[in-house]
Amino acid sequence: MRKTGTADRKKKKWDGIRIRLWIFGGLALLLVLAAFFAEAICPYDPYAQDLSMALRAPDMLHPFGTDRFGRDMLSRVIAGARTSIFSALALVAVITVTGTVLGVICGYFGGLADAVMMRISDICLAFPGLVAAMGIAAVLGGGIQNAVIALAVVSWPKYARLARSQTLAVREEPYVAAARLAGSGPGQIIIRHILPNIAGNILVTAMLDVGTMMMEIAALSFLGLGAQTPTAEWGSMMSDGRSMLQTYPWVVLTPGLAIFVSVAVFNLLGDTLRDYLDPRRLHKRNEM
Amino acid sequence: MKKRVFSILLALGLAVTALAGCGGEQEAQDPAAGQVQETSGEKKTFVFGDTTFNAENGIADINPHNNSGGWACIRYGVGETLFRFTDSMELEPWLAKGYERVDDLTWVITLQDGVTFTSGRAMDGEAVKECLEALVDTHVRAAGDLHIAGITAQDQTVTIKTQVPVPALLNFLADPYACIVDMQAGVTQEGIVSGTGPYRAVSLVPDTSLGLVKNEDYWNGNPKIDEITVRTISDGDTLTMALQSGEIDAAYGMPYASYPLFENDGYTISGCATSRVFFGAMNFESEITSDPAVRKAIAMGIDKEGFVETLLGGNGYPAVGAFPDNFSFGGDAVSAQTYDPEGAKQVLEDAGWVDTDGDGVREKDGTSLVLRWLTYPSRQELPLLAEAAQSSLGEIGFQVEVNCTADHNSIRVDSGAWDIYVSAMVTAPTGDPEYFFNYHCLDASSNNDGHYHSDRLEELAAQMAQTFDPEQRAQLAIQMQQTLLDDNAYVFCSHLRMSMISRAGVTGLTAHPCDYYEITVDLDIA
Amino acid sequence: MGKYIVKRLLWLIPILLGITFLSFAVIHLAGGDAAQQMAENSGIALSQEALEAQREALGLDRPFLVQYLDWLGGFLTGDLGTSYVSGQDVFSTFVSKLPATLLLAVTSVALTVVISVPLGILAAVRQNRFADYLIRMVSFVGNSLPNFFVALVLMYLFAIRFQVFPVISAGTGWKSLALPALTLAIAMSAKYLRQIRAAVLEELGKDYVTGARARGIPFSVTLWKSVLRCCLSTILTLLSLSIGNLLGGTAIVESIFMWDGVGKMAVDAINMRDYPVIQAYVVWMAVIYVAVNLITDISYRLWDPRIRLGGDAR
Repeated sequence: MRKTGTADRKKKKWDGIRIRLWIFGGLALLLVLAAFFAEAICPYDPYAQDLSMALRAPDMLHPFGTDRFGRDMLSRVIAGARTSIFSALALVAVITVTGTVLGVICGYFGGLADAVMMRISDICLAFPGLVAAMGIAAVLGGGIQNAVIALAVVSWPKYARLARSQTLAVREEPYVAAARLAGSGPGQIIIRHILPNIAGNILVTAMLDVGTMMMEIAALSFLGLGAQTPTAEWGSMMSDGRSMLQTYPWVVLTPGLAIFVSVAVFNLLGDTLRDYLDPRRLHKRNEM
Repeated sequence: MKKRVFSILLALGLAVTALAGCGGEQEAQDPAAGQVQETSGEKKTFVFGDTTFNAENGIADINPHNNSGGWACIRYGVGETLFRFTDSMELEPWLAKGYERVDDLTWVITLQDGVTFTSGRAMDGEAVKECLEALVDTHVRAAGDLHIAGITAQDQTVTIKTQVPVPALLNFLADPYACIVDMQAGVTQEGIVSGTGPYRAVSLVPDTSLGLVKNEDYWNGNPKIDEITVRTISDGDTLTMALQSGEIDAAYGMPYASYPLFENDGYTISGCATSRVFFGAMNFESEITSDPAVRKAIAMGIDKEGFVETLLGGNGYPAVGAFPDNFSFGGDAVSAQTYDPEGAKQVLEDAGWVDTDGDGVREKDGTSLVLRWLTYPSRQELPLLAEAAQSSLGEIGFQVEVNCTADHNSIRVDSGAWDIYVSAMVTAPTGDPEYFFNYHCLDASSNNDGHYHSDRLEELAAQMAQTFDPEQRAQLAIQMQQTLLDDNAYVFCSHLRMSMISRAGVTGLTAHPCDYYEITVDLDIA
Repeated sequence: MGKYIVKRLLWLIPILLGITFLSFAVIHLAGGDAAQQMAENSGIALSQEALEAQREALGLDRPFLVQYLDWLGGFLTGDLGTSYVSGQDVFSTFVSKLPATLLLAVTSVALTVVISVPLGILAAVRQNRFADYLIRMVSFVGNSLPNFFVALVLMYLFAIRFQVFPVISAGTGWKSLALPALTLAIAMSAKYLRQIRAAVLEELGKDYVTGARARGIPFSVTLWKSVLRCCLSTILTLLSLSIGNLLGGTAIVESIFMWDGVGKMAVDAINMRDYPVIQAYVVWMAVIYVAVNLITDISYRLWDPRIRLGGDAR
């Protein structure tokens, strides 16, 4: 019933997704590489001030213009890639791993640990993120690493919930029961059967979250709790320059463009990954 | 268990009551709001946007006895003080007609005749006595400034006795907290008081708006506007656009970046220097800044002109000492190190701070020249100053680590945690110099967190506490500032330029160096 | 059902206790206090004695735990205290700010539905064609712009260029409401239209759609009758999530447009270390959280009888 489409149509569809996966994966990799080699690519020192060059409109010398310290905006946007992209990736990695581990354990074993963990996650979810972030950032001091920690504390429950509900579903599958009957221990079952089955979904959510987290870090920088001066970071560059929207628009538009491009790339990658991992994608809509 | 159930009910009750509260509140809000837009008939209306009229700045209402409420009371033309400042920050009588200092502890103040509160009561000695007594009862800072032992009133005179000599008493009586209001009329639930000013407050929603109407019986001229609304607009960009769209007629607290939009015929900008100064205090407990050469190099390594001209867009004044030059003891009355990066390098070099490992940061005896710069973000100029100094000091061999945090108040008391603390403070809120030294620079000062000590300064301060003559006080203030500057104990970077921007057609709105007088009897709109 | 609701409401107790204690602790650790904060903002130094006197008056000189227990005691007897900053009763201040937040929340959610549902469905139906890419691109724009930036751009366009809406809200008239609601709706729509697209795609991929098509039922009928109904639960979840967030107030938008709601109140209170107001806000957030979860679960059941309540509801 399911294998209705003709063989070559199926193959074409498959290839389309695969091509998109390569394209967007490549673009994402390019962004990460650009962030990694930021210092080598920058045409100017992103931190070198020259007040006599302050707030120059974009021209051949400074394609993105200069900011009010006379620093080259293009160099700052490139340098900001490192801070913004790496911290967003680090944050997503931390909450995904923590959340998944806790969620799978709770989902698989249930019982008291599960109940306690879920109440804790209730508190974290119901706790106003702003209060938590400000508090944590204030205790640990400013700085991008601490902003990441603050956000991690309030964001992990989302992944714990997701992993837990997925585990609950997978746990009842016949093959898990079979593995259990065959004498596999919980560790083996989790690693061999449960994790591989829920990883796709979590990976997709994580990819889509990279953009969101970039914005969250930007919001904290806006409140003065994120990147510390003079670190180039897109969110704080935007909020620093917001009063200049009418007078010196390039100061706020260029980091905005950078955020847009990277959010778009990671989101498209996430979407494509979802399409790619979805088994039904192979069969459906061929005739539609 | 019973308690638990109760708390649930309570929380639910909170939610339900809150929801039920909607209908009523909404209706109550609308008329007050409608009033803002209304331009009925030939009535003259005026809308003033202000970024500082909010509880965050201690201005939740216009009650002068509540925190900084006096600022709103005096700025928006509701209240007036016994004495006021001229444009050169000298005292002149206002609600007072004259005064006499009988001895070091006794002052007799004569009041203007024919002044009435907006409540209808005549302003006489008894009313002033009641008001000042209420002030020192409730306002901690006022009580500490005035040291009042007792007040007696007779007709149009009040006699104030102080516990200790208070040479600056009249200056303190010009502080916004000393607005004379009718205590019999009292303070309404909303925080409205009856003053003697050109406008009468009729409505007040904290952090939102204040409604004023003309005081028909004003004693000192004819107010020209029928209705004024003061709108709290905390966000600078919103303020900018509200002035552009014509929703407000004048604005206070415009972000620097917006000034170019209003530097044309459609608007008038009125600004002047205030005694709010952006300055750094050196930490004398620190290994780095206890070295006089390092302090000197810092003072020589900060580009004040560049900071003011470029980063503040010209909206500020490079500072020399603690007071701006509209004070007789301010501006060029003292001299400080000027910006000289080459000279600063030499100073460090001579003192043994040399970059031996070639990393751009100087060292001496194994210690790197790392300067921990503590400041806070709530004043937009401070992070800019930090970032600019980070670069200019970096060039002469410092490595500046900026800690810009809202938690600076708890960090600054730990002298092991910073080398220079940069803040924005009003140095002469009442036009008198003594306050600044008392609070910041002496052994007994509450804000001397860097533990600066100078025998000479202590001596001069003791002298000032006993000196009543304004001329001599000014001379002492100059010597005291020079002492600070010679020690490079403080670096004064710039003075705030306080500006109001109004639409063309608005007249009589002029910035004043003390930052107290905004809406006055002269305000008019074409 | 009744028993279930009671059980869910009982969860409120540990959450409330945990959350209020946590917020008290966190803000306490963050340092600074109301007395100091006000002195700093005015730029006029206070003497140590004056600061101490203010602290004593506010009860800030007592140990942390005593302050918390004192607050808790007041809370249990229905007293939320008075604000350190304004001196006003916290409960009545809070209640006076709620209507504005509620109105803004409801309006922006309504706008979000109007924008994101049709666009999400359109994008799904035209998957991987021009319309789909265009809609998704637009959603990335909405997704990648910080709120404050969207607000400024809208303000500039609609208040200064076209002069249709006011910059600062005066009361709660629809004209004042338009820009803040739109600002919020843009960001939410950008997020949710993608999820609606995904949900619709998933439904479209199910066998019954293929079956319906095979039986000759027009695609539009299938789309409206079956697919949409099944997507309702997704839409419902999204709505409940966003209304929960919005009821907490949206600090940045509220303060940019001078919309006098609880979000702005909360941020101000945090900045000023105004414990009683922060606590009231935190309690409100916990109540919303539990209530929204409960209502969502109940409505799932009403929409989709296959879901059983009780057991493991989460």
